[in-house]
Amino acid sequence: MTTPPTDHGFGGTAIMMRGITKRFPGVVALDDVSLDVRRGELHAICGENGAGKSTLMKILSGVYRPDAGTLMIHGLSARFTGTRDAERAGVAIIHQELNLVEDLSVAANVFLGRERRGGLGFIDDATMEDETARILRMLECGVSPRARAGGLRVGDQQLVEIAKALSLDASILVMDEPTSALTEAESARLERTIQRLRERGTTILYISHKMDEVFRLADRMTVLRDGRHVRTVDRAATTPREITGWMVGREIAGHSFHEPRPRGDKLLEVERLTLPWPEHPRGYRLSDVSLDLRAGEIVGVAGLMGAGRTELLETIFGVSPPGWKGEIRIDGRPERFAHPSEACAAGIAMVTEDRKRLGLFPDLDVAGNVSLCSLAEAARGGLLSRAREEALVAGPIRDTGVKTPGPHAAITGLSGGNQQKCIIGRWLLTEPRILLLDDPTRGIDVGAKAELYALIDRLCRRGMGVLLTSSELPELLTLSDRILVLAEGRLTAEFSRAEATEHKILEAATG
Amino acid sequence: MADPLPPSAGGFLLRRSEWALLAAIVLAVALTAVVDANHSYWFQPLASLRDIARSTAMLGIFALGAAVVIIAGGIDLSAGSMIALSTTVCASTMLALAPTEMVGFKPVGGAVVVAGCLASLLAGFLVGTLHTWLITAVRLPPFIATLATLVGLRSLARALATSTTAALLPTKNSQINVYDPMFKVVRDNVWIPVAVFGVLAFITWLLLTRTVLGRHIHALGGNEQAARLAGIRTDNVKWFAYCYAAMTAALAGLFYVANESVAAPANQARGHELNAIAAAVVGGCSLSGGVGTVPGTVLGTIFLRVVIDAVSKVIKTESEIYEGLIVGVVVVLAVTFSQVGQMAKGGRRLLPGALGLCAIPALALLAGGVVAMTASPRAGLAAGLAAAVCLGALKAWEARRDTTARPA
Repeated sequence: MTTPPTDHGFGGTAIMMRGITKRFPGVVALDDVSLDVRRGELHAICGENGAGKSTLMKILSGVYRPDAGTLMIHGLSARFTGTRDAERAGVAIIHQELNLVEDLSVAANVFLGRERRGGLGFIDDATMEDETARILRMLECGVSPRARAGGLRVGDQQLVEIAKALSLDASILVMDEPTSALTEAESARLERTIQRLRERGTTILYISHKMDEVFRLADRMTVLRDGRHVRTVDRAATTPREITGWMVGREIAGHSFHEPRPRGDKLLEVERLTLPWPEHPRGYRLSDVSLDLRAGEIVGVAGLMGAGRTELLETIFGVSPPGWKGEIRIDGRPERFAHPSEACAAGIAMVTEDRKRLGLFPDLDVAGNVSLCSLAEAARGGLLSRAREEALVAGPIRDTGVKTPGPHAAITGLSGGNQQKCIIGRWLLTEPRILLLDDPTRGIDVGAKAELYALIDRLCRRGMGVLLTSSELPELLTLSDRILVLAEGRLTAEFSRAEATEHKILEAATG
Repeated sequence: MADPLPPSAGGFLLRRSEWALLAAIVLAVALTAVVDANHSYWFQPLASLRDIARSTAMLGIFALGAAVVIIAGGIDLSAGSMIALSTTVCASTMLALAPTEMVGFKPVGGAVVVAGCLASLLAGFLVGTLHTWLITAVRLPPFIATLATLVGLRSLARALATSTTAALLPTKNSQINVYDPMFKVVRDNVWIPVAVFGVLAFITWLLLTRTVLGRHIHALGGNEQAARLAGIRTDNVKWFAYCYAAMTAALAGLFYVANESVAAPANQARGHELNAIAAAVVGGCSLSGGVGTVPGTVLGTIFLRVVIDAVSKVIKTESEIYEGLIVGVVVVLAVTFSQVGQMAKGGRRLLPGALGLCAIPALALLAGGVVAMTASPRAGLAAGLAAAVCLGALKAWEARRDTTARPA
């Protein structure tokens, strides 16, 4: 147990990190990071994906143990072996990913693992529901504590996550991109809650991509890049432009993509696509979505978490259950793919969103991961030949610029960017004409990102049509010829490259 | 870029863990040759080899099927009951086609034997198809689907034996005797099941390492969702895997008929499905799927049978009582040893907290009890105390390490 904070001013140091280092197979996620967070301040952590923000927060909240370095909380040395230790020391974290048990009630989720008990030792639902209701009121959220967590809108689920952290009454609160799934109104409510918490003296570490948000809320900011601490500055002493510059470290070679690409025939048309969602109050995942894609064109799909970006791509690729309405035409022919293999045969490829969960085969080597969709070409008389497989994968490994010790290295030893290139290479072997990319650069470092952008541009120039989603607006703005915006399963706007701005897209995405 | 190989990989011809398994087999044989009071490995090497070869082949044939399903990310609990069904289908078919010869202990003829065997294999195919249908169309978890057939198929086999005998013989019977000389030949020539096992192992190895389907089986087991999204017809791959498991069990069933000269569905191969799964797991197959090899499974089977044989040689009376205990201990030890490296590196504790404290008497009692029953009460007491002292020392060492040597 640490001593509770006695000084609510700016005097003490709430968190002191010295030389924190964390390695994962193939990457150094954090390299000698030192950081001080003052008691009661709102400290923003900025950095690109893969800069090490989330790893740092997971160390702070006891999810990971650092390989080297020391961590002091309120002046006491902290060696957390689990999140429970961190909670005891007064650190609570709101994770970026939702961690709800869908079949339990909101109140049961908020108190999961810390259930309140009555006199006889039985679970005391009434107390937990009352306390949950109180926290939800503070968040200005109208959800009932008895509602099933799985049935809530994504934004409300995020608020339940936040309620979970608030119920701990922690003196240090870590927020990892808490607004990524919230509408503008919900974000504003969250900001008011943050103000209230700050009045009570809570120290807040705030991770966000959104510069305007960071500059509105933070007292100080720390920029991380490639696992290293770049600098810590007062808000008043810097500008968003400067912060972005430190985050990226160099200009992303973006301008070259603005050269017009030759435009070809219509490859893909989606007309009035509606994908039902029976067990959900909204009733649909996608409603009345229409779009088209030409050869040599990159069409971006923007939207918040849960807006239906992935579902749109999955329906085109034949992954969604067959109950959808509307029409999908490939080369003018209506198609209803019942299985991804049919979509592959029709010349469509899809690079999935969550690389680890949906794309990678950790038990297969690099060659096995790349050749998977075109294995028949490496077989003769029904038997696979190692030499033929190596020859087959050599092309895509070279084209996509995968850095690997050899075709038979373990795929898990490669960096995220190289793994993603392997997966793109896997699909290039099927010689697709339509490439569906679902958030292809998530969790990839800046350098690899620029290489992937160049690769996508190159593929498009060869006459491929690319439908791209991304959780990062700058990425869509860099790559896309046109940008479609989804909000809650509906298409709310379409912008040409010239018209599109981050502000306009965000407005349409939260509308 | 670093090139960390997975812990089980590497090594010449076999993986490192498989070489270790081979060494363990040699060690177990050597120990038995010395400890066994009759020194039967020494004085009757051929007879001992024949025994072990037969039992290994009989288990190995359907352990290969179990391995394929496990590598594909599933589980088949029904193999023992499938064997019972296979023996019964084979015997019933022959009884139906040649009732007088079967009753009169006369040769039934090659055609009838072939028909019986084909009927068994067909039954295997149908059961595998049923499993796949339950798993992919009805969407039952594989554990539930094959648990249902584990219970159901044996019952079905018993009903089949009873109704066939009631219809074709003067008295109904719960088992069907098979005296055809062809089955006797198989029984008396141990090389036949061994050769079948060897060929099947080679085919399975070829399938898993050198064919597109084999790669898809690994991919399915490693990451099912990703496999589907990569355009693999995962349902068809499962169909193959479950049929392979059921048909290898059906094939093993034919050797059970030959070996025991009877189709006795009430108890034949009861519980043997767990031995097959154990053999695959000892051989390095991961129950979470995607990982496993044929050489590993073959060595796992041999190791299991060698250890069982060793214990029966050392404990002269009622050694079959201890078979389950041996399989259990071997599985736990094999999987624990495969993780020793990670445990040491990750600073993981084997006896953490209060759980560890309570595990010490549980393990000591188990060790002491078994030794007391097989040797003498005094030896049991000594073994129990020794185990308690060793585990207590381990616990104390772990506690010390965690308080002093934590990374600063």
